[in-house]
Amino acid sequence: MKALYSLLAACTLMLAACSDNKPVELYNNKAALPSSPKYNLDGLKVITSFVNKTKGTASTLYGNDLALKAAIEGNKIIAAKEVFTLVTWKQQDDDHWFGAKIPSDVESVEVIKTASSGNNVAVNYEQLEGRNLDLKTDTSGQAERIKYILGQKPSVLP
Amino acid sequence: MRTNRKPLYQRKAFIIIMILFLGFVGIQFVRPDVPNPPVTGDLEVPADVKAIVQRACYDCHSNNTNLRWYDKIVPVYWGVASHIKDGRADLNFSEWNKLAPADQKAKLWESINQIISGAMPLPSYTAVHTEAKVSPADLAVLKNYLASMVHNKPADTAAINAADKQYQHWEKNETAIAKLPTAANGIAYIPDYKNWQPISTTERFDNNTLRVIFGNDIAVKAIKENNIHPWPNGAIFAKVAWAQLQDKDGTTHTGEFKQVEYMIKDDKKYASTYGWGWARFKTPKMVPYGGANVLFTNECMNCHKPMAAEDFVFTLPIKH
Repeated sequence: MKALYSLLAACTLMLAACSDNKPVELYNNKAALPSSPKYNLDGLKVITSFVNKTKGTASTLYGNDLALKAAIEGNKIIAAKEVFTLVTWKQQDDDHWFGAKIPSDVESVEVIKTASSGNNVAVNYEQLEGRNLDLKTDTSGQAERIKYILGQKPSVLP
Repeated sequence: MRTNRKPLYQRKAFIIIMILFLGFVGIQFVRPDVPNPPVTGDLEVPADVKAIVQRACYDCHSNNTNLRWYDKIVPVYWGVASHIKDGRADLNFSEWNKLAPADQKAKLWESINQIISGAMPLPSYTAVHTEAKVSPADLAVLKNYLASMVHNKPADTAAINAADKQYQHWEKNETAIAKLPTAANGIAYIPDYKNWQPISTTERFDNNTLRVIFGNDIAVKAIKENNIHPWPNGAIFAKVAWAQLQDKDGTTHTGEFKQVEYMIKDDKKYASTYGWGWARFKTPKMVPYGGANVLFTNECMNCHKPMAAEDFVFTLPIKH
């Protein structure tokens, strides 16, 4: 009986050696967004997504309900409590489909939050960079980025 | 010396062998027909590409089937005949003209991906017909050819106008649908997908689309809890595709909405289709793909088959 078990074990090992045992990759770990108190995507909806073929980047613009509604109306009026979050990844070839590109390392997370301040609405912009989501301290060009993000036309999602 | 052995023809073993042999000869006459119908429109590609496709694919995917003598022996012949029937039904290079140009392109990219994944040519086929194997050098030729067909150019006025028109309808909420369209396999369009969390964005340069894949709460929870191998019952994906609308500076936006596709996990209800329910709805009117023909799911399954080890899911989800 013992001999039979050993034989069975040996056969199993041999079969295992024959099969193509490459580890199955289940997540796109490169593109993972670290959970961070600096931003939060929970409850945000997709406004649009776009790629830049020259730079090889892919971006998805998320927003809360107020932001999505404002975006569909063309962001003509900036109201309080809108949250826009633009995540930009480097792209990589999709190993599972020749002809496709999927997100790779996170390049930046840009967050726009609006809040009422007196009779006005204050627009706050922050850019987090790289894998560690370091806050970008250089504030030049912020107005342009705000304009760019608020200028994005939503994707048709019927 | 006297022997008690019976003559050969009276021995039991001999009789059994004879019966099996006669049976074997007999079944040779049970032959499904493998006709070679006329070639109505052949694949037109450069000679080096054509040579590889002919050698690796044509025996099952064309009307020019070349059967070897060993293919003609029953029961091998039965297997070969059914392969050819299925092969031609799925893709027939001899009736290439019956496909619209966009479908021809899609078929070529699908085929190369089937080759890359090792699903095609069928390993059981190449085990005997070794000459049908596609070498890494052959694959490079095929890849180069397809890559050379991709052209990035700014969107033309027609594409921009079509996208604008569709957007205006949607913006005014004119696309809302009263009665949910249902695919032939009973799966209805799920309007709530747009409130789900996206789990990845992909660019397809083979067919000029941008895609966002959404996951319902069960799918998103499974991702967070590392419970996606296999995916739990109740998990649903919705993959949305838009035409690409490219700017002059290379930024490519989502243009016209093309379709939404669902994969619904239920290993009992959908046991016969890899444990997933499949459906595709096209245009903002959500026209069910496949019409009344429930066999459209074969197309979904054939394409996803190489991903069996990943529970038939192509796109790796992103955790956040």
